[in-house]
Amino acid sequence: MSNSITEIQETKCLFVFGYNAADSHPIVAKHILKAKANGAKVIVCDPRMVETARIADQWLPLKNGSNMALINAFANVLIEEGLYDSEFVALHADHFEEYCETVKKYTPEYVETITGLKAEEIRQAIRTYANASESMILWGMGVTQYGQAVDVVKGLASLAVMTGNFGRRGVGVGPVRGQNNVQGTCDMGMLPNVYPGYQNVDDDEVRAKFEKAWGVPLSPTPGYTLTTLGHRVKDGTCKAYYIFGEDPAQTEADLAHLRKTLRGMELVIVQDIFMTQTAEMADVIFPATSWGEHECVYSSADRGFQRSFQAINPPENVKHDWEIFCLMATAMGYPMSYRNTEEIWDEVRSIAPLFAGATYEKMEGLKTVQWPCPTVDHPGTSFLFEGAKFTTPNGRAQLFASEWRPPLEQPDEEYPLVLSTVREVGHYSCRSMTGNCSALQTLADEPGYVQMHPDDARALGLRDQQLVWVASRRGKVITRAAVNERVNMGVVYMTYQWWIGACNELTIEHLDPISFTPEYKYCAVNIEVIKDQTWAENYVQTEYSALKAKLRKTASATL
Amino acid sequence: MKKTITVCPYCGTGCKLNLITENGKLVGAEPADGRTNEGDLCLKGYYGWDFLNDTNLLTPRLKHPMIRRTKESNLEIVSWDEAIKFASDKLSSIKKRFGADSIMTTGSARGPGNEANYVMQKFARAVIGTNNVDHCARV
Amino acid sequence: MNRFVFADPNQCIGCRTCEVACVLSHQDDNRISAFDPTRFYPRLTLVRNGQVTTPIMCRQCEDAPCAQVCPNNAIYRENGQVHVIQERCIGCKTCAVACPFGAMNVVAYPVERKSTSTLFAMNTIKAQALKCDLCDHRQQGPACVEVCPTNALRIIEPEEMNKLNQQKRQEAAVAALSGVPL
Repeated sequence: MSNSITEIQETKCLFVFGYNAADSHPIVAKHILKAKANGAKVIVCDPRMVETARIADQWLPLKNGSNMALINAFANVLIEEGLYDSEFVALHADHFEEYCETVKKYTPEYVETITGLKAEEIRQAIRTYANASESMILWGMGVTQYGQAVDVVKGLASLAVMTGNFGRRGVGVGPVRGQNNVQGTCDMGMLPNVYPGYQNVDDDEVRAKFEKAWGVPLSPTPGYTLTTLGHRVKDGTCKAYYIFGEDPAQTEADLAHLRKTLRGMELVIVQDIFMTQTAEMADVIFPATSWGEHECVYSSADRGFQRSFQAINPPENVKHDWEIFCLMATAMGYPMSYRNTEEIWDEVRSIAPLFAGATYEKMEGLKTVQWPCPTVDHPGTSFLFEGAKFTTPNGRAQLFASEWRPPLEQPDEEYPLVLSTVREVGHYSCRSMTGNCSALQTLADEPGYVQMHPDDARALGLRDQQLVWVASRRGKVITRAAVNERVNMGVVYMTYQWWIGACNELTIEHLDPISFTPEYKYCAVNIEVIKDQTWAENYVQTEYSALKAKLRKTASATL
Repeated sequence: MKKTITVCPYCGTGCKLNLITENGKLVGAEPADGRTNEGDLCLKGYYGWDFLNDTNLLTPRLKHPMIRRTKESNLEIVSWDEAIKFASDKLSSIKKRFGADSIMTTGSARGPGNEANYVMQKFARAVIGTNNVDHCARV
Repeated sequence: MNRFVFADPNQCIGCRTCEVACVLSHQDDNRISAFDPTRFYPRLTLVRNGQVTTPIMCRQCEDAPCAQVCPNNAIYRENGQVHVIQERCIGCKTCAVACPFGAMNVVAYPVERKSTSTLFAMNTIKAQALKCDLCDHRQQGPACVEVCPTNALRIIEPEEMNKLNQQKRQEAAVAALSGVPL
């Protein structure tokens, strides 16, 4: 995020795009409510009436998969009505001409049929955004989990550039990161193209620095992403997979394909805290300490480093993650050892200039340091791009627009509904943690839900809470219908943490060409009514018990 | 009763919370006055910690290293020494036969924290010798 | 006038933290380790429909219909609060029918009947009429109010009610003036 979560309260216009804070980040939702109480206008672009839409000044229920068209129309209005900040653009942005050229045909009238919105609604929304003294955009997976995702992200950032909404408090753009340390994994260089601190692996000078620090020659070639793994295994270029604290056999798109990929490898190592469905397929399992059992630094979505401390002792025979990597490194001929996490952190600071000043001492207790923090006496950075200095090679913002591309798999006669995967408040990700929490699993348990509009349910002859089959070209799962008026017709929504009602058996591995993120938000499915509900209830219970029994037996090696 | 400051292990908001322990056993959680959460917590923050007590409601905690000696055999419990040797021998052999880029690694965006992820990418880049490093940001 | 818990639908995000807090608050042992999924009976219930998201619970009515209709005199008012004597509840559900808010939740579950000999131990059905008791067993006040992350739940005290009313009357008076043609 360019600006802090706490700055949400200071903005005058909050533009929420494909982001359901109430379910994914309830405490961010609290900040949104405070912003509204402080007088901010709230505009929500989302096909569903999410909680934020309910309290919004304007809700734009756009059609699923029309993001780019809508953003281009916003840009079109900014230009046509002269609402943009021409001085800011002239001083700080490139490619204005190309930008105007691309969005020219995307008049609000032109996108009416694509987005399902009225031209006047679109005009009104972007006028509110452009006319506020401080405007902030928040987005979530409703933007990034499409085949056209990076284009849309750049398009949203361009709206902020066009209106001069960068480099001050209460403005900017906020992709609100999902998991508690997804920002941290990026910060630490858990990406195929950068070292810790966003330093490119193909930059000779940078690489020389890391080679010196680590004492070995390093590869200048960027690696490949997790989402292209399937192809690599199929063509024989990938033979081993070391999985650290993840459950791809639950969270990746098109699970049948993923399982085939895992089975096609010579070696799968899983390092985790619970027996997941991925661990069950592993050749090696390393048991590690959990949150609460170790000390570490996490990065919040708004670049805030914070320390988390050890509350309880771990089970006897498990080790800290970093200790396990040290043992493996040493066994493979590269002696590696650390006394504690602070020693590791100090090494990070010594080679990542962005984090150099964020010492353990400065993060004592409740304190936090937001990067960039280049020196020990630097207080950290609440918002980026002060003075409109951008982190591009020439320091200027790069305006960007792209032609709208519809999602890949469109509904047809056989699969007439669109499936989009979403979040729910009580469970998290693969559910190995929340599913083991008594209160949370009481609120919602297997086989999860498929949310649908009452008219779609009626057409199928389906009642609320009945079990149904949901099928796509890739798989078929059983789940429970949650009929509700908050969702749009023709589209059904499932959350991805269910092990029986696993919606990723259905999703499609259609990737964005730049981020390689799958199109979790759009694939075609059909719904089959189950006449014998008693049979269906029994079937779910039997499957669920069998799965749990299998995982227990695997964990205790009593298969 | 002891209170320990932690950062909530669920979403990216970065809420600070105190884990409450009695005689080394976890008994509760309460909000702390962190920068982003300002003394509030949500459902998961308040009630999302008892998995640490190995409740076995969904799936058991991993408590021992395990290996599968051949693709046909079941997982068995082994010592740390044996597990590390088994895994490192296999990885070294794959690296030798197919090159470092035939090995994929992914980090954890959840509980392990920044230090563990730093050490893992260092392991991948300096020891295995590949930039095949990624994580589940796209999920 | 009495005190009651009020939920502001403009602040509620539907997270159900209040429901869990309510259940834990009414357990003999308040810890999550004592949580029993088969007895999940929150005394406030989240409602989410096309228009609104908000928990619904007892308003501690001054002239409580539930108390009027109880055939076994299990419900009474005291200190501005409506109480249920659970030992007297027979599970007839008349109170649930009478309550205009749907705030009364009548539940029944098997309990072991105390007997001097294990030979004669048997299960009987125990009924309870459950509703918000303002957590009067709890020093810090209602648990739901304490945990609500968006402060959508609050206690309305009689003084606050008076103040709110005064304020609204002032506003109404001003509004009335502007509506009068001069």
